Amino acid sequence: MALEKIVPVHEPERLPITKAESRLYMSFIYVAFIALFVGGLMGLLQTLVRSGSFTLPWGIGYYQILTVHGVILGLVLTTYFIIGFQFSLMGKTVGISFKQRKAAWISLWVMVIGTIMTAITILLGKASVLYTFYAPLKAHPAFYIGLALVIVGSWIAGFVNWRQLYVWKKQHPGEKSPLLAFMVVINMVMWFIASLGVATAVLVQFIPWSLGYAETINVLVSRTLFWYFGHPLVYFWLLPAYMAWYAIIPKIIGGKIFSDSLARMSFVLFLFFSIPVGFHHQLTEPGIDPTWKFIQVVLTFMVIVPSLMTAFSLFATFEITGRKKGHKGLFGWFRHLPWKDVRFFAPFVGMLAFIPGGAGGIINASHQVNGVVHNTIWVTGHFHLTVATTVVLTFFGVTYWLIPHLTGRKLTAKINKLGMIQTIIWAVGMTIMSVAMHIQGLLGGPRRSAFSEYGGTAQAQEWIGYQLAQAIGGSILFIGIILMMYIFIHLTFFAPKGIEEFPVAEEEADAEPTPMWFDNWKLWIGITIALILFAYSIPFVDIIQNSPPGSPPFAWPIGNN
Amino acid sequence: MDQTNKKMHSSDEQESPSLKGTLISVLLLGSFLIVSWFGVYALFISR
Repeated sequence: MALEKIVPVHEPERLPITKAESRLYMSFIYVAFIALFVGGLMGLLQTLVRSGSFTLPWGIGYYQILTVHGVILGLVLTTYFIIGFQFSLMGKTVGISFKQRKAAWISLWVMVIGTIMTAITILLGKASVLYTFYAPLKAHPAFYIGLALVIVGSWIAGFVNWRQLYVWKKQHPGEKSPLLAFMVVINMVMWFIASLGVATAVLVQFIPWSLGYAETINVLVSRTLFWYFGHPLVYFWLLPAYMAWYAIIPKIIGGKIFSDSLARMSFVLFLFFSIPVGFHHQLTEPGIDPTWKFIQVVLTFMVIVPSLMTAFSLFATFEITGRKKGHKGLFGWFRHLPWKDVRFFAPFVGMLAFIPGGAGGIINASHQVNGVVHNTIWVTGHFHLTVATTVVLTFFGVTYWLIPHLTGRKLTAKINKLGMIQTIIWAVGMTIMSVAMHIQGLLGGPRRSAFSEYGGTAQAQEWIGYQLAQAIGGSILFIGIILMMYIFIHLTFFAPKGIEEFPVAEEEADAEPTPMWFDNWKLWIGITIALILFAYSIPFVDIIQNSPPGSPPFAWPIGNN
Repeated sequence: MDQTNKKMHSSDEQESPSLKGTLISVLLLGSFLIVSWFGVYALFISR
């Protein structure tokens, strides 16, 4: 490292967010909260159906509501909240020009048109293919076209983010990029490279096949392209939560960023190791050489490194802040944390959930152990800890300050208290539901399936108690969703006018300077592409060359009825 | 290392806050990961 190529730590500028910007950021977040309500209601209905004591009315199918739940929460809620939140972070740290704002609006409208197309198709029962839309289940073409538009819209948002940082760098030669802007750009680079896979599957395989132009589809290629996208998708959800943990939470607890360089390095490692790992979702699939499955499992385990770096950094932030405030003893610092501030409490509960969530992830990714849990409801329990608790509670934690900041209102003591109750309700509901899912999964209970007694087998009898517990947990969670909708509407329209802080943490005055080579994007993107080519080229050619005959579409019993 | 450097080094060490709690916390976290993994591995072996 060239020592002369480092810049001194200085107080970064923070830009005001204008009303025109606020409208843009809030528009993304409105869609996210509508999605939360609709998707959450579907989740409640699913758990009730699976309890065996509830039948869906008006001919609505279980797989129809399961698809709505997965698409609306897994793709719509997350993507809209993330893009709105990330735009606000970019606006705060590097600014947004008039032209960039116009382009951002285009990204929103392209995504909205796509979302409406997809949502209508699913609600009409023409796309009950679940959010993974595995071939040979066939949906109506409008489902795939709508999804493609959502992805294209999100790319436009990514291009705007990259342009925002580029323009800022031109105006600030020799300065390191602001940490949050760096993180946003990493996340959108990862999202763009990853979503090329699913976009290829949708444009080249699914749309011509669903329109009848192609008679058959190569199932393994489509699933491989999906999981090339599907695993980085979970990191696309997670990294914005990490942005809040690394660079916002320290400010809320009255501390400083533990290490700017460590935070950047962990994001760079996530960029490297999120994508060339999709095979660990396909460990039971024939047609993929086991050697390449092993290689991708090893690469998956590399993701543990930045995850543990994050855990260490957070504990260290908490401890250093507490000790500076005079708290002594091994865990005295733990008490100083602002337990009554929902902006901290909600994300903290999310962090706690990531401990069992991460442990489950390591189990899922281990080739043989995966055999115990593959396609069981354990996996559903796992991602309800990671995305539906860790990520969602962090997003709720962001909501408590971001919404009033954007709407010119205040987070009142009453809403703070309600937020604390909401977090506890969420934690209780999710603990009951997710633990029940994990145990039922270990007992062999399948995921993605409606209620069935499986011909009265003894094994299926063991599962029913856990499915009842899931219905209880799901009902508690839905109460949490109603409460969160009330909080969101109150903060948007009714909370008292005022100024709410946009908390952005700073470095210690004597922090080690961040090396400038962190801004070497060619290096990071080059290594990422090299790793992807290494992990995918040979097995992908092998899959194509040795494919069995393609499959005609199946639109029944689920799919496009 | 000369005397001045030694002094600077030790004063730096005094200034940096203790991270013992962090060490214990990450060790507990690591132990949880290992115990969970071996729990499911035992299930795999026993079936």
